Amino acid sequence: MNQAVEQAAERAGKFDGLEAAMEVDELTGLAKFYDDWRRVILGGIAVALFFVFWEALLTWGIPLNKFIISKPSLIFLGLYRDMESGLIWRDLVVSGKPLFFGFGAAILVGVPVGVVMGWRVRVGYSLDPLLTALYASPLVAIAPLVIIFFGVGISGKAILIFVLCVFPFVFNSYSGVRSVDRLLVNTVRSFGGGELALYRIVLVPTVLPFVIAGARYAIGRGLIGVLVGEFFAASEGVGYRIAWYGDMYVLDRMFGYILMLMVIAVIFTEGIRWAERTAFPWRVGM
Amino acid sequence: MAVQYIEAKDVNLTFTPPNRMPVTALQGFDIAVGEGEFVSIVGPSGCGKSTFLNVLLGLIKPNSGEMAINGNRVSGPGRDRAMVFQEFGLLPWRTVQDNIALAPELRGVGKRQRRELCQGFIDMVGLSGFEAHFPHELSGGMKQRVGIARALVSDPDVLLMDEPFAALDAQTRDIMQAELLRIWSEAKKTVLFVTHQIEEAVYLSDRVIVMTKRPGRTKTIIDIPLERPRDYEMRVTPEFNELKLSIWNQLKDEIDTQGGPQI
Repeated sequence: MNQAVEQAAERAGKFDGLEAAMEVDELTGLAKFYDDWRRVILGGIAVALFFVFWEALLTWGIPLNKFIISKPSLIFLGLYRDMESGLIWRDLVVSGKPLFFGFGAAILVGVPVGVVMGWRVRVGYSLDPLLTALYASPLVAIAPLVIIFFGVGISGKAILIFVLCVFPFVFNSYSGVRSVDRLLVNTVRSFGGGELALYRIVLVPTVLPFVIAGARYAIGRGLIGVLVGEFFAASEGVGYRIAWYGDMYVLDRMFGYILMLMVIAVIFTEGIRWAERTAFPWRVGM
Repeated sequence: MAVQYIEAKDVNLTFTPPNRMPVTALQGFDIAVGEGEFVSIVGPSGCGKSTFLNVLLGLIKPNSGEMAINGNRVSGPGRDRAMVFQEFGLLPWRTVQDNIALAPELRGVGKRQRRELCQGFIDMVGLSGFEAHFPHELSGGMKQRVGIARALVSDPDVLLMDEPFAALDAQTRDIMQAELLRIWSEAKKTVLFVTHQIEEAVYLSDRVIVMTKRPGRTKTIIDIPLERPRDYEMRVTPEFNELKLSIWNQLKDEIDTQGGPQI
């Protein structure tokens, strides 16, 4: 009998506990923080573990041969030294300029070409095979040629970057225009909209998200263009420095530069992603 | 017979789809609608009833025929007509408010004035509080409310409705039909309503035009003498069902004789 009462009390106690747990439904403090930032936290932990594992392996696992590999502690130190001396900032400016001009030119040329290809069927059919072939081929192969034609300075690099970046803009604008909804065109026309109104109200908002998505692909290709251009012929810049450090077997510094490039690439692509979400809230529902 | 408000005479339209034989969509199509009347067009699939609406809207040029609204010849899109589309046709990147304000915007009305102009219609279609929502945040019924408000804001003489409730589920459609009758009695527009649903046509209309199979012509016109305002109970009266049956009897020959797959 007593036992039964005790059991009932225990069950009641558990029930209380359950209720208490259910009251925490509305997450607070750390739990809420974790819930909100779960993607970032889990991703960040994976990155941190990667570095810890790398460091540990070369500290206690295999003996470190500085001519073959480096380890995170030395890499971060090297990166710090290059920042302190200002070398890295100078290289960034040198590499950034052709990227800016090449990328900018790719937008200015690529988007109009893509739009015309989409708007004028004959232009689209004519250019599609040629441009697709160029887009699909590893265009870095023509880097030596571009450098021979345009020199080792900013123009040669900018042109190489332009060649690599222009195609994502062309093809994304092209498919953007082709995805214009006929119904929306008819709607605007039926309410008295002319050609200009169609551009402003239907075409631009349809194509713009495609262009931004194109920018995400293009930026990765642009960074490759910078590096390859500077690998071949340069006397300063990020690509040159990576090659130079590699030749000198200063691998911790070389990895430092590579690490920085990774961070820059992530900032660019994630920044564009963020801009997409903020600027085109309706895309969330599509 | 008095001069009609909407008048189309001997409209012919043939078009050639890419890599296909030419199709005669409309052949000698006539229609006459009085001011303030609610007229529905029913017909078998592909008979050209939606096509005719687009011709009357001015988006498609007929090969021949005369069309006039209140005596003004139709030769292209105009302010006297506005369409409510089956698939809504809302701009996904615009809020409810800015979608509804499309027509005044295209006329160059200023932003503040547009707002004032639209608010009454937003209230009329029951979208108050949703002005800043995007279309993807709305249900199908609400999207079509936006479509109706957008058409009314342009203050047309004639409201053209191309199967406006076909994309909605059955219950939402019932509600929207009742809403349309209410809005119609408030806005006092002449309505030309295309549908493939006989019950919808009877419930809403003063007259129902039954079209033949393609090439589309008017087969018969049936008067709907039901009292207004109409309510849901009316749909189960013998009178209502008689009307449904008489339209069905006209329509079924057109469907029966069609044979083969419909396009």
